[in-house]
Amino acid sequence: MKLQKIALIVFALSIITGMTSVLSYGEALTGVQIMQRVDNRDDGDDLTQKIYQKLIDRRGGVRERFIIAFRKDYGKDSKSISYFLKPANIRDTALLTYDYDGTARDDDQWLYLPALKKVRRISSSDRGDYFMGTDFTFEDIKQTPELEDYNWTLTGSEVVDGHDCWVVQGVPKTDDLKKNLGYSKTVNYIRKDIDLAIRIDYWDRKGQELKHFHTGEVKQIQGIWTATKVVMENSQTGHKTEMVFSDQHYNTGLSDRKFSERMLKRGYRK
Amino acid sequence: MQNLFSFIVHRAWPVLIVLAVITGVFVVQLPKIKMETNIENMLPHSMDAYVNKKKLEKIFSSADMVVIGITNDQSPDGIYNPHTLKLVDELTGWLQMHKQFRTLALSDLMSLSTIKDIRGTPDGMEVEHFMQQPLSTPASINHLRQRLADNGIYMGSIVSEDGRGTLIVVRPDPSYIGHYHEIYQLIKDKVSEIEARGGPEKILITGRPIIEGVFGAYMPQDMQQMQPMILALLALLLFVAFRNIRGVLIPLAVVILSELWMLGTMAAAGIPIYTVTTLLPILILAVGIADSVHLLTHIRVEAGRGQVESKQHAIIAGMSGMWSPILMTTLTTAAGFLAMLTSDLLPMRYFGVFAAVGIIYAFIITILFIPAIEAVLPHREKVQKKLAFSGYLNWMSRVVVEQPKRIIAIFVIMMLSSGYGLSQLQVNSSLVSEFRPSDPIRLADTTLNAHFAGTNSLDIMLDTGVQDGVLSPSFLAGMSKLQAMAETEAVVGDSSSIAEFLSEMNKVMHEGKQSWRVTPASSDLAAQYLLLYSFSGAPDDFDSFITSDYSQAHIRIQLKSDSSADAEHLVHLLESHQQEWFPNATMEFAGTAYTTFRFSDLIITGQIQSLLLALVFIFLLCLAMFRRFGDAALALLPVSISVAVIYGIMGLVGLPLEIGTAITGAMALGIGVDFAIHYLYRYRYYEQQGLDHEAIVVASNDDTGRALLFNALVVIGGFLVLLTAHLYPQVKLGVLVAGSMAICYLASCYLFPVLLKARKA
Repeated sequence: MKLQKIALIVFALSIITGMTSVLSYGEALTGVQIMQRVDNRDDGDDLTQKIYQKLIDRRGGVRERFIIAFRKDYGKDSKSISYFLKPANIRDTALLTYDYDGTARDDDQWLYLPALKKVRRISSSDRGDYFMGTDFTFEDIKQTPELEDYNWTLTGSEVVDGHDCWVVQGVPKTDDLKKNLGYSKTVNYIRKDIDLAIRIDYWDRKGQELKHFHTGEVKQIQGIWTATKVVMENSQTGHKTEMVFSDQHYNTGLSDRKFSERMLKRGYRK
Repeated sequence: MQNLFSFIVHRAWPVLIVLAVITGVFVVQLPKIKMETNIENMLPHSMDAYVNKKKLEKIFSSADMVVIGITNDQSPDGIYNPHTLKLVDELTGWLQMHKQFRTLALSDLMSLSTIKDIRGTPDGMEVEHFMQQPLSTPASINHLRQRLADNGIYMGSIVSEDGRGTLIVVRPDPSYIGHYHEIYQLIKDKVSEIEARGGPEKILITGRPIIEGVFGAYMPQDMQQMQPMILALLALLLFVAFRNIRGVLIPLAVVILSELWMLGTMAAAGIPIYTVTTLLPILILAVGIADSVHLLTHIRVEAGRGQVESKQHAIIAGMSGMWSPILMTTLTTAAGFLAMLTSDLLPMRYFGVFAAVGIIYAFIITILFIPAIEAVLPHREKVQKKLAFSGYLNWMSRVVVEQPKRIIAIFVIMMLSSGYGLSQLQVNSSLVSEFRPSDPIRLADTTLNAHFAGTNSLDIMLDTGVQDGVLSPSFLAGMSKLQAMAETEAVVGDSSSIAEFLSEMNKVMHEGKQSWRVTPASSDLAAQYLLLYSFSGAPDDFDSFITSDYSQAHIRIQLKSDSSADAEHLVHLLESHQQEWFPNATMEFAGTAYTTFRFSDLIITGQIQSLLLALVFIFLLCLAMFRRFGDAALALLPVSISVAVIYGIMGLVGLPLEIGTAITGAMALGIGVDFAIHYLYRYRYYEQQGLDHEAIVVASNDDTGRALLFNALVVIGGFLVLLTAHLYPQVKLGVLVAGSMAICYLASCYLFPVLLKARKA
């Protein structure tokens, strides 16, 4: 009888322990699982938005650009087309990009220069190359980095701008990758409630702090969490890029024809 | 004054103790002394080259680059072999991993492993690394060589035309300004490590930061080595002159104390040691010793004449007879150096001030220490009857008395030939040619300049004053014309600008056809190309060539030499076309070549001013002392002749006036005028005693002539020690000052008495 009682208690205890571990699952996420959640976050199937780019050099000299951009997802791949609206001397310059998932296939890019009236194909940029003369590299500008290229480690939680965040450290797996990306380490602050990176710190290959990414306002548009302002600052060069996004329209069913050479040439019409 | 010397002689110990305490106070200051090796801090901050350099750094983030050259003369294919390419990749990676270098953008670190090929293709353009990974197969290496030749941009700047060399060009991190010597050491250590592994490659290190760093580091190093040499030489000369230990140690003690006091003052005032002021210790040693030499000689000659009975009296008599000419020569020498205060260069001003301070200290120590120590030391037993060099001095007196016409003829011939030499004198400075030809830095620079576009730069800043002004077709065309004209000059290796990039983009966007390698036909197209180019570069890649608002532009011209004359010629040539090329824009110059040109200009005009001012100062002092206009003017003559002759010889042998040699004049003037003053003082002394010319010459030569000979030997010897220096400015300065002192000695002891006789008649 006594033995039975003990067995019962042990059984009950083990169930409770099991239950707790199941219940606490949400907190026991690994670094890579968090990054997968970021990657899987809903960002709409297509998006139309206006982008205001402000490039600020170390002396405070400013270069501004106004762009209207369209994006459409094709599974993990995506296509996008951007038209420059301002300044006047680059108006109607347009860029068409086919962005392929993974690193196996290089992205395709075409550019239309109105002063030349010609579409030109621009081949292959490295992931570590800067995007459009901003402080973002092609790698940074993507929704999430290529997850399999980094070792992800959850190092803790921290409150950033009043939001509870996971702190996930990403270290490129090989020296070649570090060289390609230009980073030895990134530290990502992911908002726990909406799986969005609101701050990222980057370290260069010498182990020195390199860049800081920060989101300004984040709001829900058509039910999708959207950062409306981002800043990337290079602490070594003092160069800074601000981007403000506005007039977002998600899931408007953009047609495939929009992402073609012909549309690139035709220019943006309201 | 006699009371003072009597006081010193009778209270010798307290005087010596006070001197020791003062010396102690100065010595305690010495650890505070600092070195300033950053050449930039030596430029006057109001100078246009400095202002423009700062502007260039601020507006165009432009920096002087470190250059590492890799050459391979052993492999049949030069650098195009797996071993060399792997080495390039290794060094590039090594630089990227060191915080001493800024390697963020392509323009920060250019090597075969970082540069990209932008090619026009039938449907667009292709941007690709020339060498993503070190290449190993013959086919891939041949392909690389072919692509570099087709592309052309990096031919001459990253790879040499003959295929035997390649460069790695890297930007020092801005936090390492002033510590370039450390960067040199770091790279040198890495190179030694590579060389220890063996291989056919030679690795050369140069670039302006390296040259400046090493230049700054060599000078103090040289001074430490030369100090014992000069002391040994002085000891030897003093022994020859006085033939006893006392005669060696007393003057040496005087100058060593003077040096310590001077350095202590410098340390206490918080003035750092500059490359120029490293010469001060040598100067104080060689010049400061003259006072004690004159004093000791005089005391001994007096004693030898047996006119005084006791030791105390001999000292007091000697001091009383000599303090006045010694004070006089101290003041004239100090005035000569203080005239350097007119210089715009801070180190030159400090040089003048502290040389004057040191000379005055030497005087104070001489008149306090010598009587005191002589009084304390036991009385000399025997007096040498036959003093050194008596035979020579007698011969000299005979020549002066018997052959005045021949002496005058010789000096007239000297003056005439140096007059011709002066008309041939040129102005030209070059930092690199200040290194000995066998120096690794100079070898590296010479080799790399022979194979590549050049390690020196002339930077041109253009300001249109309006937004997008640079993009206008006529302005861009003007920039291309400027570059085309500059590149016809032999000294110009290459040039680059936003106009060149835009021409290249134009070509790429027109299927790579060479005929399209022209600046864009419209401002809009230029703006669109810049946007396109920015897709393949870092955000601040263009900052070095054009400002954010496209209102200002920068052209960099690479020069194979850092000669100031070449820079001057190019600047004048380009300035003469400004109206034609850029009628509505301002044009300013900067860069290493421009700095050298303006720097040498400044030093030379500064030195000419100093020289004239020193002449005036010294003349006024002589007038105050001799109270006769004619005598004061005559006293300046020997040294003026010697300065003219030495500059004349420079013109004759083709040695240009430059940073090192220009300073000679004012230095020689201040030091050399002493000879004539001593002579004249003595001559007039005997004149007042009623002696005739012949007797005066014999008597003057016996005491002052003897001291002057020692004095001349010591100064000449002291400056010749500079021959052992690593750097030519010191070698040249040493030779020229020594040479002018030799001429000045001859003029003061041979020509001067002849002229004094003429004055009498």
